[in-house]
Amino acid sequence: MRRMLMALALATLTLAAIGHPCRSEESTTAEQRRLFREGARLWPVYCAQCHNARPGSEFAPYQWNAIMMHMRTQANLPAKDARAVLEYLKASR
Amino acid sequence: MRYLILSILILCAVFGNRAADAADGVELQQIKREIQRIKDEERRERERSERLIEELEKKVDQLESQNRQLQQSSAKLETQTTEQFHQLQEQMSTTPSPGQFARSFADYLGTHQFTLAGAVAGDFIYDRQTATNTFALDFEPILLYRVTDWLLFEGTIEANLPAGGAAEFSLPVATAQIFLNDYLEIQAGIFDQPFGDWYEEQSPFWVNRFVTAPLPYGVEALVPPTDLGVQLRGGAQWGDLGQDVDYTAWFSNGPSFASEGPVPVAGQAINGVNTIKINTNGLGYGARVRFYPFPLDSELGRLEVGASTLNGKWQNGNWYNSWGIDFNYLRGALQARGEYLEMYRQMPNSNADNRQGWFVQIGYFLNQVPLSGAPEVVQNFIHRLEPLVRYSGLNQRAIVSDEIETVPETGFSGSPSIWVPHPREVALGLDYWMAPSIVWQNEVDLELPEAGGSIATFAGNPVPTITARGATPNDVAFLSQLAIGF
Repeated sequence: MRRMLMALALATLTLAAIGHPCRSEESTTAEQRRLFREGARLWPVYCAQCHNARPGSEFAPYQWNAIMMHMRTQANLPAKDARAVLEYLKASR
Repeated sequence: MRYLILSILILCAVFGNRAADAADGVELQQIKREIQRIKDEERRERERSERLIEELEKKVDQLESQNRQLQQSSAKLETQTTEQFHQLQEQMSTTPSPGQFARSFADYLGTHQFTLAGAVAGDFIYDRQTATNTFALDFEPILLYRVTDWLLFEGTIEANLPAGGAAEFSLPVATAQIFLNDYLEIQAGIFDQPFGDWYEEQSPFWVNRFVTAPLPYGVEALVPPTDLGVQLRGGAQWGDLGQDVDYTAWFSNGPSFASEGPVPVAGQAINGVNTIKINTNGLGYGARVRFYPFPLDSELGRLEVGASTLNGKWQNGNWYNSWGIDFNYLRGALQARGEYLEMYRQMPNSNADNRQGWFVQIGYFLNQVPLSGAPEVVQNFIHRLEPLVRYSGLNQRAIVSDEIETVPETGFSGSPSIWVPHPREVALGLDYWMAPSIVWQNEVDLELPEAGGSIATFAGNPVPTITARGATPNDVAFLSQLAIGF
């Protein structure tokens, strides 16, 4: 068991080292537009895979920030896709 | 004209001299009077014309005066409009953009921002075998506390009001989620077991298309519903958009089984929430991988295939192993999902406690069915319906009669026909969607258990009595639930 934990810790550190750092929330308008377009394509499919896709108007942007972190965990969404869906939900309100 | 008349009269007078000198005097007088009359008319006409000219000149003066006033007013109005336009331009330039407003509003709300999500459900439950007609309520708020864009705390509190009992409270989820980078997240705390799709993703009332859980995830579950430990998880795109792969690896408190009896027997129920290392013997560890083969643009739908495993020692020297495979397919209004899972439990003094479970379900949302000829109210009603069917089953060597609980609660009919070694269930569902997360669900469960297996009964004795389980009567249950996701 100790070996397993050590291996797990090593794997964690390796993945943390090779991965890209989390991006800032600030992004350019062009980048936001790109994310919005991609989010509009992903939203009806990725969300509906488990439940009905809920419209952006249901929550405030700051609430979507928390909810999309929750959903990224629940569905193991790729981070870039989670960002796109988040941008779409916040901008489509 | 008047000169012509005068000329004619003069000519007439000249030539008239010859014809009638005697009448000349009288005619001359008449002519003179006529001339005078004409002159008078001419004078009056001139005077009238002069008056008209004067009046017209006055009107022209008035119009010119009005025109000057209008020009002045117009100039004043133009000046005012220009000033107001400039004022509006200045105001617009000082109004914050949506992004600035969002930041200002976030500042106003403070750094400790909580988000409340979750679900609530109210059930009507009927079971024919137990002659039950009752209600149950459940309230599951999820509290999210987002500290930064890489740290989230999450807690789920479940308040359950079963039929005929007092409210029960539990804490099925309490985690910290740390997003290290785009491909790695650490989650620590009490969490839904990331085994299969059921516990994490399908168990919320409004997400589950049915009122009840499929048999392998119900009262005789094969894997613990929640666990306490640490997860590593993440996802990535491996091909085109939509072609993803994700993983979850975790170690946790591990499995344990109900301990109503003094000795372990096959068929004992698995425990739900474990406290830290009280009921278990060493860590459990698990892994889950999901794969999405179809690109988003392929129009083949969204297919997910997954595999899970959870292992650990439930007792000193005795292993618990489980594994499962699952799929989920979504294409337009059609959705299908299914799982197969197995559990192996090493027993200290008897044969292994092996169990298998499965379910497959399919639903079709009628919102895309063309009903052009029907009245609008009928179309609106039909388009909100989603008929469903699910088949699930479970195989195990035995059950423990001391554990049988038939009190209905949210998502459980209480049917005794489920508490058998080989339950089988056909569930027919009809959902009416009032909003994306508000649904009225109706479900008819046909319990069709198969014969076989045995029943262990302790009844206060140290050694259980094992009896063969014969044929079990079929049963029918009906559940109607209003579920709201908020």
